[in-house]
Amino acid sequence: MKVNVKQWHAVAQWRWDTGNAEPEDDGEGDVCGICRVPYEGCCPSCKMPGDDCPLIWGECTHVFHMHCLLKWIGTVASKQQCPMDRKPWVTAERKIGSTPS
Amino acid sequence: MATDAMKSQVAAKWQEAFQRLNGDSPGISGLMKFSEAWAISVQFLYPWDISSVPVDVDGRPYGEILYIGKDLEAARPAFNVVNRSKKLPALLETFLDDVRKNFYLVENEITQYMARYEEHQSTDEIRGLISRLVEWYRAWAPPPDLGAAVFQSYTLNFQTRLFSALPPSFTGGFKNLCATLLSPPSAEDAIVAVWRDFDILGLIERYETIIASVGYEYIEEYVLRTCTGEWGKPMLDDLRIWMSEKVVPWLLHVYARGATTPDEARTMLQGVGSRFDFHINKTLCDLRTREIFDVIIDYPDSMGALQDLRDCMQRVDQRADLVAALRKQNQKRLLNPGADTKLILQQYVSTIKCLRIVDPPGVLLFKVADPIRRYLRDRPDTIRSIVANLVGDDDDENGESLVDDVDAVPIQQHDFDDYSDPNWEPEPIDAGPEFRANKPSDVISTLVSIYDSKDLFVKELQVLLAQRLLMITKDGSDRVEKERKNIEILKIRFGESALQVCEVMLRDMTDSKRINTHVQAQKSSRLQPTIISRHFWPALESSDLVMPGQFHKLQEDYAHEFNVFKPDKKLKWLPHLGTVQLELELEDRKVQADVPPLEAAFIELFSDKPVWTLDELIVAVGSVNRSAAIKALSTWVDLGVLKEDPENTFNLLEKAEEGQSAAAAARERDTAKLVAPIADIPALSGTQLQQAEQMRVYWKFIEGMLTNLGGLPLDRIQTMLKFAPGYDKTIEQLASFLEAARREGHLVVRDGVWRLNPGHEA
Ligand SMILES: [Zn+2]
Ligand SMILES: [Zn+2]
Ligand SMILES: [Zn+2]
Repeated sequence: MKVNVKQWHAVAQWRWDTGNAEPEDDGEGDVCGICRVPYEGCCPSCKMPGDDCPLIWGECTHVFHMHCLLKWIGTVASKQQCPMDRKPWVTAERKIGSTPS
Repeated sequence: MATDAMKSQVAAKWQEAFQRLNGDSPGISGLMKFSEAWAISVQFLYPWDISSVPVDVDGRPYGEILYIGKDLEAARPAFNVVNRSKKLPALLETFLDDVRKNFYLVENEITQYMARYEEHQSTDEIRGLISRLVEWYRAWAPPPDLGAAVFQSYTLNFQTRLFSALPPSFTGGFKNLCATLLSPPSAEDAIVAVWRDFDILGLIERYETIIASVGYEYIEEYVLRTCTGEWGKPMLDDLRIWMSEKVVPWLLHVYARGATTPDEARTMLQGVGSRFDFHINKTLCDLRTREIFDVIIDYPDSMGALQDLRDCMQRVDQRADLVAALRKQNQKRLLNPGADTKLILQQYVSTIKCLRIVDPPGVLLFKVADPIRRYLRDRPDTIRSIVANLVGDDDDENGESLVDDVDAVPIQQHDFDDYSDPNWEPEPIDAGPEFRANKPSDVISTLVSIYDSKDLFVKELQVLLAQRLLMITKDGSDRVEKERKNIEILKIRFGESALQVCEVMLRDMTDSKRINTHVQAQKSSRLQPTIISRHFWPALESSDLVMPGQFHKLQEDYAHEFNVFKPDKKLKWLPHLGTVQLELELEDRKVQADVPPLEAAFIELFSDKPVWTLDELIVAVGSVNRSAAIKALSTWVDLGVLKEDPENTFNLLEKAEEGQSAAAAARERDTAKLVAPIADIPALSGTQLQQAEQMRVYWKFIEGMLTNLGGLPLDRIQTMLKFAPGYDKTIEQLASFLEAARREGHLVVRDGVWRLNPGHEA
């Protein structure tokens, strides 16, 4: 017998590739250290998750909603440091279009 | 001890009495005359047996007048003597005593007539008896010469004796006779005569309640006969016309006898007319109350009945009865495990609409609705039914929607009196303490208010929307559009923010399509996934299903292409969801089928090895529920592809078994209809899309910056963009990019400060 798949309508979830190991499925997943909302959710000023409310990676390995971080950096108190470790914020190089290994 | 004064007083009294008897005659000659006059008078008045002597219409005997002393001319002087002697009261007393002694004659005749009536039950006998009684009454009546007082005493005496002589069975006979007069076969003259006879004998006053009951029963019979089950048009006006044509003429005989002008008759009829009109209202109201449950089922075809009920209740206070009747019927016919939730909801909605017609303030509705609402609240599928209806369930295209309100309005959840409302009115008198005026909120609000919060509905709405969206398999942009319109309408009701998650779900649908278009352009795949945002879709049951063989490869290839397209994202498959369209090439046949993934996974395993045990199969697809596995395998058994032999061992049938091939062929034809050609995918250059995608990321960054920090000059934007992943543009490139965005209306620039264009919807 030969099984020919003519069409397969499947369902998948997208996840941010945070570089961390896949957490257990049932969990809410990791949360943004600034707003405490899961990465795959959206920051308090957004309504749509995903590309409309992207993440930003720091060289310190901390990850936030980009909007959350920008808001933080925009404050005087931030001194342009990462809110988690108080190191100067440097956005990690994650070249668009490059295929992660 | 008698005094002189007393003796003279007695003497004077005696003198006076003698004077009265003797009149002005000399000596005692007057006294002689009086005794003669007395005898003549008593003889004239004597109640004789009219059966032995024929009488004329006025009750006077023919011939032999002298023999029985009935010569009025001869009697008149004698009356005068008696009258002058002030002995009229004594004469009356003697006469009435004679009536008493001879009344047995009347009684005998009553007995004979009633015996015949009881035998034949013919009202003619009653009519005959009444005529005969009038003859007796007239024959014995004292002449007018004796004055009205004597006549009235006689009439009263005769009637009193008559009434006590009439047997109980007469009442029934009389009632029947009255009834024949309502739908008379006889001429008007005859009817007038009957009523006149009734009047003469005092029967109308005596039997007034009986006569009235004849009228009431006549009305009841007519109302039931003409109005039962006739709900389409209001009947009350027709009934009133009928009453004025058929019942009022009859009433005139009873209640307006003696009226000389139509106006006078109208005045006399006023009271009784109102009572009879009340009776029409009450009878109709009772009927509609008994019918109310079915009237509601028939709504809106039963508008007439509802209007009648409303109008009747203005006259008859039967509100409590209506509530009791409807609650009882609901309990018996609606609120039981056998009734479908959808049906209960439909009847509830109809009840809302119907009772609003009958009782606009909503008190009745409140009382009737309460048990229905409590019952619905306890049913597990109520919310689902309501929500399915809100979004216009596809199974239901032919069924009527609960909701036909044209204008969507926000759901009202107020539970206090708003006294600032200019239309506020005090609560109706029969409103209970818990009554909350259901300010004519729309039907959906009323349904939603069965529950304490609308959150439950939003959650259910989400679940339902998820199911419907994931069922869309082919190019379903129309369906997605339809759902979007639904959500737009529901937003008005539930509020924008409550439905934000639905918004995300819909966006996932369009994004999935866009992504798929791109992936297919890179590397065509049979796999076409819907990619959803976790946290925004209802919790979909998880599964440990692992797709084997070519399915696993399809997943991996697709995920890879996705990752190329969206490097910062990855895919997590929900393998148990979705459908697979398969074609199985067997030795002697092809089998087409649209199946769930588990079915597909199992059959894929059989392409490697023709015999599997149930346990082997379960292990080979990761881990699945045993009963789910059996169900999936039975799909293939039913299609004649697998055979279970022995128990829990499944064999691939490369060649169709005898008798099965025909059935399978038939099924194949059926399933073949379901298979539509895969939609052509428009070719798009991958790099174009990728560049656009890249710019989109930067744009999001800029947009986020300007949203959070307000207006920024070019150099500040450039500095901030260094935080953006992989940003490598020069400030000139940025300037031309911002200029392009300005031309498209996304941005405005003033004095070198860039801002988002507030009027522009991204
Ligand atoms: Zn955040
Ligand atoms: Zn955001
Ligand atoms: Zn850090």
